[in-house]
Amino acid sequence: MIYKTNEYLGYPDRISVPAGEAVRFQLSSKRPSVKVEVLRLRCGDVDASGPGFKYEVMASPLDGEHACLDQPIRPGSNAVIDHDGALVPTGGHWCFGAYVYPTRIADNAKAVLGNWCERSARGYALELDEEGHLVLVLGQASGAPARFTLDVKLRPRVWAFVSCALDLAQGSVTLSLIVPADGVRPAAACSKSFALPQTPALDSGLPFLIAAHHVNGDRQYTSHFDGKIESPRVFSCPLDAEALRVFDGRLRTGVSDAGLVAFWDFSNGISSLSIKDLSPNNLHGSLRQLPRRGVTGFHWSGSVHDWRLSPQEYAAIHFHSDDIYDCEWQTTCTLDVPAHWRSGVYALRLTSGGNNPDRDCESYVTFFVTPGRASRRADLVVVASVATYLAYANSALRLYQVHFETLMEHVLWLPQDDVFMQENPEIGQSTYDCHVDGSGRAYSSWLRPILNMRPRGYWFNLVNDTHILDWLEEKGIAYDLITDVELDREGARALAPYRVMMTPTHPEYFSFSMMNAIMAYQNAGGRHISMGGNAFYWRCGFHPAAPAALEVRRGMAGTRTWESEPGEVHLAGTGEPGSLWRHSGFAPQKLVGVGFSAMINDTCGYYLRTAESEDARVAFTFEGTGRHEKFGDFGFRYNGAVGSEIDRYDLELGTPPHALRIATSEGLGAGALPTPEEFRTVVDGLDGTQNALVRADMVFFETAHGGAVFATGSITYGMSLGHNNYDNNISTITLNVVNRFLDPRPFVMPAKT
Amino acid sequence: MDHTSDPGALRYVIDPRRLDLVEEFRASPLGVHSPELRKLLARMRWGKPEGRLVLIVLEPGKAWRLSRIPNRRGDRMPFVDDRVLTSLVEAEWHVFKLRWQEMTGTTLPAEISGDL
Repeated sequence: MIYKTNEYLGYPDRISVPAGEAVRFQLSSKRPSVKVEVLRLRCGDVDASGPGFKYEVMASPLDGEHACLDQPIRPGSNAVIDHDGALVPTGGHWCFGAYVYPTRIADNAKAVLGNWCERSARGYALELDEEGHLVLVLGQASGAPARFTLDVKLRPRVWAFVSCALDLAQGSVTLSLIVPADGVRPAAACSKSFALPQTPALDSGLPFLIAAHHVNGDRQYTSHFDGKIESPRVFSCPLDAEALRVFDGRLRTGVSDAGLVAFWDFSNGISSLSIKDLSPNNLHGSLRQLPRRGVTGFHWSGSVHDWRLSPQEYAAIHFHSDDIYDCEWQTTCTLDVPAHWRSGVYALRLTSGGNNPDRDCESYVTFFVTPGRASRRADLVVVASVATYLAYANSALRLYQVHFETLMEHVLWLPQDDVFMQENPEIGQSTYDCHVDGSGRAYSSWLRPILNMRPRGYWFNLVNDTHILDWLEEKGIAYDLITDVELDREGARALAPYRVMMTPTHPEYFSFSMMNAIMAYQNAGGRHISMGGNAFYWRCGFHPAAPAALEVRRGMAGTRTWESEPGEVHLAGTGEPGSLWRHSGFAPQKLVGVGFSAMINDTCGYYLRTAESEDARVAFTFEGTGRHEKFGDFGFRYNGAVGSEIDRYDLELGTPPHALRIATSEGLGAGALPTPEEFRTVVDGLDGTQNALVRADMVFFETAHGGAVFATGSITYGMSLGHNNYDNNISTITLNVVNRFLDPRPFVMPAKT
Repeated sequence: MDHTSDPGALRYVIDPRRLDLVEEFRASPLGVHSPELRKLLARMRWGKPEGRLVLIVLEPGKAWRLSRIPNRRGDRMPFVDDRVLTSLVEAEWHVFKLRWQEMTGTTLPAEISGDL
């Protein structure tokens, strides 16, 4: 059957909910009603050649049909300033302008600032037209709006100062463009004056906007600007364009600037969603749909790369017409999660109701139930990689990357969800993708439908992770599930109830709190089974003012599909440097003994034991297996336990000296290629046929207070667990490790460390 | 621009006389290939996404149909032909032949261009 997976879309208000608490679901469909069931997932992989799609239907008050609205997604970021008429031109003179750095000039007009409303055709605004000309649009008491256009075009990715001087008494307007010198290009300026219409209608009655126009009076916006805007300012006195430009906005004690109506200083509150007006009028505003702050401004000197050190050099905001943080849909239904429900991966199953339902219409909204206050805790906890799911949320790599088919070494297979994303780009893409202006996406939020975090969705990450849950269920191992969002918010306290934590196939994105929580847990005697590969790799953060959003700054290293602009590596939300944990002195090796070494896009490999594996400290691991077996030369989907992305041992990068490298990979080929930070000069011999660093290492080490760490170093390890009806040597050694780690007998660090 | 994002970054020129490489590919479309065939395949698979032939999954692991990435985000993705492909090996060979025709301007001889 060919399933329609996007007839219903939705998202939860919170990604994880403790048992006993409520979670609200926002659903949308062109169909008037939706049938809802709640599933607890054991294996979310519908591929019939694997363990199979396994779940438990959880009876709940939500069961049954619900009325469903067709709720649109309106992407695009902008600033909104309520002003009670203070930003409506009155009297004689009204001068306003801003620095702009357009990153995309195409398709439709791009608003810079004003209060213009399309529906009422009232108000005024500066905008760039489809070709990059500066335009003043303003309403008239009767008839069509007036538009005045400067002949000269702005160029993409060049700073310019655009402004407008209205002389309402004389009935004239002057539009100006100043392009300061840059590189070999000298400064340029031009301006042009026009006669104003007899009866301009400059008051739309609506808030003042930066980077958008009003569609109507219902908080709907259009003509979103793609690019940076800096230091918008408004004066009610005559100023020529250069005088308006050089006004620097800095406050002096005991001085007020004559005629100053507003000056928005975006360097103030970079980690917030507020914008501050430095004028005496306090015309502060707010940002919607999470544009990017902490970006270099017109005055960036290049001498600092951290906006916290010189915020004035980061006084710009990068707006995008396809920014999306929160779809702002109405709630369709609320689930009061029963206190007795087991923690785990849950999903709403959404199907068409009625007497004659479409059996091929099946959609999901995934959420995570964590233990409630009264829940009895298991000894083992699986930490779901929500930060990673978000980083990859609605990944369009298969659609829009130049290199991706060569990387994958086969014709790309697009799930129906990819087709949906191409045809409905407003859903917003992942932090691997670029905005429509070509700049990398720094934010990904769960307050929007996420197509690849669902059963029937693309398997990478969440669906792969459920193979591990399936194995735990099969082996009868009691477990709880929490997410890394709890690690981010609660730190090590989230792990404290557990003897063993398990991270799944690909826990790649980690905030400062998440990393430190695990380190503290391990050092307090906790045991950590790191089941995956390319783990603990990117330093990222949840945005403090937009807590459903992960922020990623790619930096200039690592396996990356875009690069940060120069000077833009620090997160706007927390100020800390983004990029790789390896480059923040906390390589994954320091946490779990292994760190990212290579990607494998052809044949997967397997493990062979090393001489170190004969150490009595790890004898428990290999019980029931042979000394010279190939470990994991099999597996679902990938055909090998060493594959996709793999990690290796490295003392210099922080692997503890007493760590034992108990197995290492074999069988990797020319399609196994190192991650860029693994070589400093390009030379022949980098691929897996020659490069000894292209390998996965299986590592064990003890930690303080009786704890220990076991790491597999490979994403595909988990998909080998179910091979041969769960009877295989990967399953055996994993069970050995789980059993020993659950055993309260302390591990003892060797004396010489 | 960098290598990863430059559609023109691969300079290999496909030689339409190298039917030996076609036969090698046909023998094992998803197998391990010789260095020369790897170069040819890398060139075939590289380029701007717009217009790229892709498979749309009808049923995971079972059925696929051919489409192309449209020029603009938001545009529809129609199928390019009526063929329902039932194995990835078959799909790989089908796309190879279409690209060979597009990129070399030559048609493969009948004796090496049939279905697998």
